[in-house]
Amino acid sequence: MFQEIIAFTILGLAIAFLIKKFFFKSKKKKDCGNGTDCGCS
Amino acid sequence: MSVQNINVALIGNPNTGKTSVFNQLTGLNQQVGNYPGITVEKKMGFCKLPNNVKANILDLPGTYSLNASSMDESVVIELLLNKNDKLYPDVAVVVTDVENLKRNLLIYTQIKDLEIPTILVINMSDRMERKGITLDIPYLEEKLKTKIALVSSRKGLGIDYLKELIVSYKTIPHEPCLNASVIDPEYFEKLQHAFPNQLMYKLWLVITQDVNFSNLDRNEVRNTFTKSHSELKRLQQKETIKRYQFINDVLKGGLKVDASMAKDVRAKLDRILTHKVFGYLIFFAILFLIFQSIFSWSTIPMDFIDSTFASLSSWVAEELPSGILTDLLSQGIIPGIGGVVIFIPQIAVLFLFISILEESGYMSRVVFLMDKIMRRFGLSGKSVVPLISGTACAIPAIMATRNIENWKERLITILVTPFTTCSARLPVYAIIISLVVPSKRVFGFLNVQGLTLMGLYVLGFFAAILSAYILNKVLKLESKTYFVVEMPSYKMPLFKNVGINVVEKTKAFIAGAGKIILAISIILWFLASYGPGKEFNDAENIVKERFANTTLDEAQFENEVNSQKLENSYIGLMGRAIEPVIQPLGYDWKIGIALISSFAAREVFVGTLATIYSVGDSDNESTIKSKMQAEVRPDTGEKVFDFPTGISLLLFYAFAMQCASTLAITKKETNSWKWPAMQLVFMSGLAYFAALIAYQLLK
Repeated sequence: MFQEIIAFTILGLAIAFLIKKFFFKSKKKKDCGNGTDCGCS
Repeated sequence: MSVQNINVALIGNPNTGKTSVFNQLTGLNQQVGNYPGITVEKKMGFCKLPNNVKANILDLPGTYSLNASSMDESVVIELLLNKNDKLYPDVAVVVTDVENLKRNLLIYTQIKDLEIPTILVINMSDRMERKGITLDIPYLEEKLKTKIALVSSRKGLGIDYLKELIVSYKTIPHEPCLNASVIDPEYFEKLQHAFPNQLMYKLWLVITQDVNFSNLDRNEVRNTFTKSHSELKRLQQKETIKRYQFINDVLKGGLKVDASMAKDVRAKLDRILTHKVFGYLIFFAILFLIFQSIFSWSTIPMDFIDSTFASLSSWVAEELPSGILTDLLSQGIIPGIGGVVIFIPQIAVLFLFISILEESGYMSRVVFLMDKIMRRFGLSGKSVVPLISGTACAIPAIMATRNIENWKERLITILVTPFTTCSARLPVYAIIISLVVPSKRVFGFLNVQGLTLMGLYVLGFFAAILSAYILNKVLKLESKTYFVVEMPSYKMPLFKNVGINVVEKTKAFIAGAGKIILAISIILWFLASYGPGKEFNDAENIVKERFANTTLDEAQFENEVNSQKLENSYIGLMGRAIEPVIQPLGYDWKIGIALISSFAAREVFVGTLATIYSVGDSDNESTIKSKMQAEVRPDTGEKVFDFPTGISLLLFYAFAMQCASTLAITKKETNSWKWPAMQLVFMSGLAYFAALIAYQLLK
């Protein structure tokens, strides 16, 4: 039982890691100093 | 006393040792390439300076002038003109090369016109004596209206003085060193009159450049002071001539070169290394040496790693209490990690050579040499940089295309770069070659396995340029181009820089690919250890019934049960589902599983097979290679990894786009899903048909 709990926890972590890696990429925010106005015309 | 934070921007032409200065100031480990295009985005580091000053050091992409012609040059201009940017520099440090001062000073004079406090760094000072160069620093400081730090970033000389100058940046004069408005005084006077609160040179850049500016309506300026495109170009040329006249005058008084002392070794070497026949022969001889070494030098450490992981699996299986976790460790996680670690020696040897070539200055000669070939295929000489960087990873290589000015050439380079053999392909190639290509020598010294590996690298390169040729004909995009490449001096590679690069690239492979491989190995183990229905859950009885009339010993029985379970596990069912599609290529369902799992990242292939064969095999002590070698087709009894299947797999992985991250970066760089989709379909189709033809001809 103890082994099963740890093994399935590792499985959960592995799945979560791959989902995060391929589907939830962190996007860099473009910051122009004052937050919103980049001065782009 | 409170800490004062300042922003310092490192600016300069490509290959002036800007990134080396950055490393010296920040102590950050970052690659320093001796060919253009290494810094493609702003890079940040921190440096503690005297008087409680903390400097945010920004390493900007190499640029020749403030007249942007490529994306990475626009990054520099946009930052220098946007005072609202939180990274806007308090002080600019322009890095120049003592041997190329004339050209390097152009951008310096432009930045001075923006009235930013600017320090001039004259780098590579250790070469002055050998080249017969003397500088009159006080004279240059007076004429250029700045402070000068004479630095050798490779030897760490002059860095402390540079830090002192940065701390006292407020004492550096702000005023320009020449007046650019003399190119058309009347026009500039009107301009200044209309926008009295703006810097004149900034207004001029607004009119001539297509970049974003803060607090200034570009359309308003452009509409009010319209000039025709040709007039603007003519004025820009006048401006450049004016600047070079000024630089010439300054250098006439401040720079002396004693030609008799300057040894002309560089010119002689260049004549040989860029020769239209010998240049290519030398290049291919070097490639040949690299690939021979990859196999010869890596054999002993690879065998050691392979057997160590096999023993570890066996030890875990025997010593830990039996159960699902022990099985996961011994059959999933340990073989999975082993499938990554085993390739460290080969990757380290590859990057050792690439770093030496970059550091020595030879790579720039390769760029120049290949330009002649590249042009015929619709690429630029600058495309060679991504194609060579692609041997590490296609992602930074695709980002390095930003210094290609022409959009069509850039797009084609982005689309064909993934054909270059990246480090993730190396494990696949290495294991398949060692299985199907004999380890013998021809003519007494040519290792056939090394030759095959080199052949695959050359194949990747030719696939890239042939695809470029087709794309050049198909894509209907028109734009003009020109090619400028920096020819740096030859330098003895620094052991420290080479060492850092090898360690960083190897670490990046382990950290990047390793985590994915480990996660996929764990999931695969579960999919291979569980299955639906009677065929899986009642495997023992099914085997007993099947062999009712045959006597099996305990080990044989266990292997038969394991095979029955694996075949009917979730992963087995998936592999068998795609078997009809891959059978014509010579692959069985187990290879099919490896193809599916390596779709997102090709380096997962070996780890997958290691896991699958570990689950299906009761002997934990066998190495990955021996398990693959022993694998036979149940119907014919022939080896699975025979010559035709091996070649078919090598070709499949040479051409297939098995990398989700590359698709993502292509989307980012082209701002469209159309191009990555095209890349995926084209490369996968080519891979399938090349593997199909090879297997059908060889079987």
